[in-house]
Amino acid sequence: MEETGGNRIPAIGIPRALLYYRYGTLWEHFFRVLDVPVILSPQSSRGILDIGARLAPDEGCISLKMFIGHVEALIGKCERIFIPRYSNYGYTDLFCTRYEGIYDQARNIFHTSGQRFITCNIDVMNGSPEPKAFEQLGVELGFSERESRRAWKEAAGALEQEQRANDRLQKELAGKPGMKVLLAGHSYVLSDPYLGKPIRDYLEAAGAVILRTDALDPITSRKASARFSPTCRWLVSEEVVGGVMLWKEKVDGIILVSAFPCGPDSMTNELLIRRIKGVPVLPLILDIQSGMAGIETRIESFLDIIRFQKGEMV
Amino acid sequence: MKQQRKVALPRYGEYNCVLKYIVEQGFEAQCILPPPLSRRTEELGARNSPDLVCTPFKTTLGSMIEALEAGADTIIMVHGACRLNYFGELQEQILRDLGYSFEFINLSLYNTGKIKDILRALKVINPRCNMVKAGRAVYDAVKMVEHLDDTTSMYYQNCGFDPTGTYPKIYRKFISDMYAARSLADIQEGYRNANHAFADVVLEKNPDPIRIGIIGDYYTVMDPFSNLEIEQKLADMGVEVHRLMNITNDMLRNSEKNKQIIIRRFSEYSMGASSTTDIWQAQNFAERGFDGLIQVKSAFCMPETDIMPVLANLSREYSIPVLYLTYDSQTSDVGLMTRLEAFFDMLEMRKKVAP
Repeated sequence: MEETGGNRIPAIGIPRALLYYRYGTLWEHFFRVLDVPVILSPQSSRGILDIGARLAPDEGCISLKMFIGHVEALIGKCERIFIPRYSNYGYTDLFCTRYEGIYDQARNIFHTSGQRFITCNIDVMNGSPEPKAFEQLGVELGFSERESRRAWKEAAGALEQEQRANDRLQKELAGKPGMKVLLAGHSYVLSDPYLGKPIRDYLEAAGAVILRTDALDPITSRKASARFSPTCRWLVSEEVVGGVMLWKEKVDGIILVSAFPCGPDSMTNELLIRRIKGVPVLPLILDIQSGMAGIETRIESFLDIIRFQKGEMV
Repeated sequence: MKQQRKVALPRYGEYNCVLKYIVEQGFEAQCILPPPLSRRTEELGARNSPDLVCTPFKTTLGSMIEALEAGADTIIMVHGACRLNYFGELQEQILRDLGYSFEFINLSLYNTGKIKDILRALKVINPRCNMVKAGRAVYDAVKMVEHLDDTTSMYYQNCGFDPTGTYPKIYRKFISDMYAARSLADIQEGYRNANHAFADVVLEKNPDPIRIGIIGDYYTVMDPFSNLEIEQKLADMGVEVHRLMNITNDMLRNSEKNKQIIIRRFSEYSMGASSTTDIWQAQNFAERGFDGLIQVKSAFCMPETDIMPVLANLSREYSIPVLYLTYDSQTSDVGLMTRLEAFFDMLEMRKKVAP
C-alpha cells in the first residue's frame, strides 16, 4: 500500500463509543496488521452527544445517542465507517439488542448522506463466529483469507494481553491502602471522557482507590456471574455482575454506574441491589441533562457513608 | 397422594386459554386464571418493579401477584429474545422479597437449545404425567392458537363494518368457548360456530375502506389491555384493522431468515427480538397499499426503539404515514383517542386528495 502518499483519505473510520471501549484494541490492531489507514472519531464531548441526541430515536439510551454522534463526526471523513455487529457468542453469551441493530440503525439514520459503512457480523448461533467474521471483513477490504485470519489472530492476542495487564493492575490496586470503591458498569460509560471520567476524577480527588469491573478478567467474571444469576446472558452484563460478585467483599463500597435508560442494567442492577448485603451500594444513573453538581453530591454522601461504616468519621 | 398443582401464567391477551388447556388436559393439574388485567394489576406491578424496565415486565409482575392472591402455587414464566430472557429471575426475586411462597418454573433457565431440557421443565408441573397425553394436548393447543389468531384477526378486520352489533357477541362467545374447551372437538366446534356466525352477518363495507396495519412489540401489541384496546378503537371508527403479529405468524409459521432477505434494503441483519418480523410486516403492509401504519410499543422497549429510523425510511420510500405510539403504565385513554382521531382524519383526507 504505497501509492498513497501523504494525503490519502483514511479507509476506515471507527466511532469511539459503545463496544469500542471493550473491543477497540482488537479492531485497531486488526486494521494495523493489514496496514489499512484508520481514523478515530474525536473524544466524546457535550457537542457530540447533542448531535447524537438530535439524530437518534428519543427513547434510545445515552450510549446510543453518543454513538450516533460519533458516527456523524466521521461522515465524509473516511471511505467507510466500521460498525461491527455483535450479536452473540453462543446460547449463553448474548449481547444487548442495541449492538445487534446498531449497524442497520446507523445505516438508516445516515441513509441520505451517501456514506458507506462496513460491518463484521459476530453471530455464533447463525454460523458466523469471530474468526470467520473478521476473515470476511478482511476479504471485503481486498485481502486474502490467510492474511485476514493472521491479522485477526494477532489482534485477538493483543486484546487478551491487554485484558491480562488490566486484571493484574486491578489486583495491585486492591492491595493498596485506603478506601476502595468498585465502579461497576459498561466500559463505554466508565471509560467515556464525557460520561465516566468526571466520576473517576471526583473519586480520585477524594482519595479513593478505584477498582473497575470492566478491567477484570472477563472469563473469570462470567463464570462468577453464571453461578450468581444463571439466566443473565448478556455477555457484557455478565462481566459486570460477575465482577461485583467477585470483589464485593474486598471493597468498601460499590457504585453501579449506568446510562439512562439502559435496558440490561435496569434489571441486573436491581437484582444486585436486592441480593447484595453488607456493602454500601450506590446506583448512579447518568442522564443527558445531568450537570456534575448533582452527581458530586451523591458520591460525596456515599463516601461519607463508607467513612462512617469504617469508623473514620464520628 | 400429592395434591394437584395450581399453575398460573401471567395474563397475556387471550392466550391464557391455551395454557389452561395444556395444563388441565395434558398435565392433569389445575390452572388458575389470574383476574383480567386492570389498573390495580398495573399499579401492583409498577410499585414493585425497577423504574426503567419496560412496561410488560411491570404488567406481568402485577398479574403474577394477582395469580398468587387467587390461590396459585406454581407460576410459569416464558423466555424470549430480548430482556424477556431475564424477566423470570428478577420477578421471582421480587416476589420472594415480598414474602410469597410458591414454585417458580422459569423457562429461561431451561432454555439451553435442547428440547430435552424444556420437557424437563414441564415434568415439574406433574412428575407423573403421561407424556403421550401431554404431547397430544400440546398439539391440540397449537390448533387452538391458530384458530384463536385467525378468529381475532377476522374480527378486527370486519367488526367496524357490522351494522347489527353482533360481531362482539360472537367473538366473546368464541373466547369463552376456548376457555371452556376440553377436547380438540370442542375447539373445532367453537371455531366453526364463530365462523358460521360471522358469515351470517351482512357487512356494510365500501370497496375501498381505510386500512391500517398494526405492528409492535410482542406483548403490548397482542394484549388489548396493555394497548388500551387500540384495535377496537380503530375498528369503531370504521377502519379495517390488520395485525400480522400473533403467535401463529410469529412462532408457528415463521421464517425469520427469509424475511430478512426480503427486507435487506432496510435492514441487512436482524436487529434483535421482534425487529425483523416488524420491519417485514411494515413493508408487507406498505406494498399491499395500506393507508397507514401504527407502531405500538411499550416504553423503553429496546428493539422497537431501534427500528424507528428504519420505519421512518420505509415511510418515506412508500409514502405511507406511520404513527408511533409509546405505552407506559400511566397512559390514559383520552390522549390516545385524540391521537388516533387525528391520524384517522389525516388518512381520510389523504384518500380524498390522492385516491
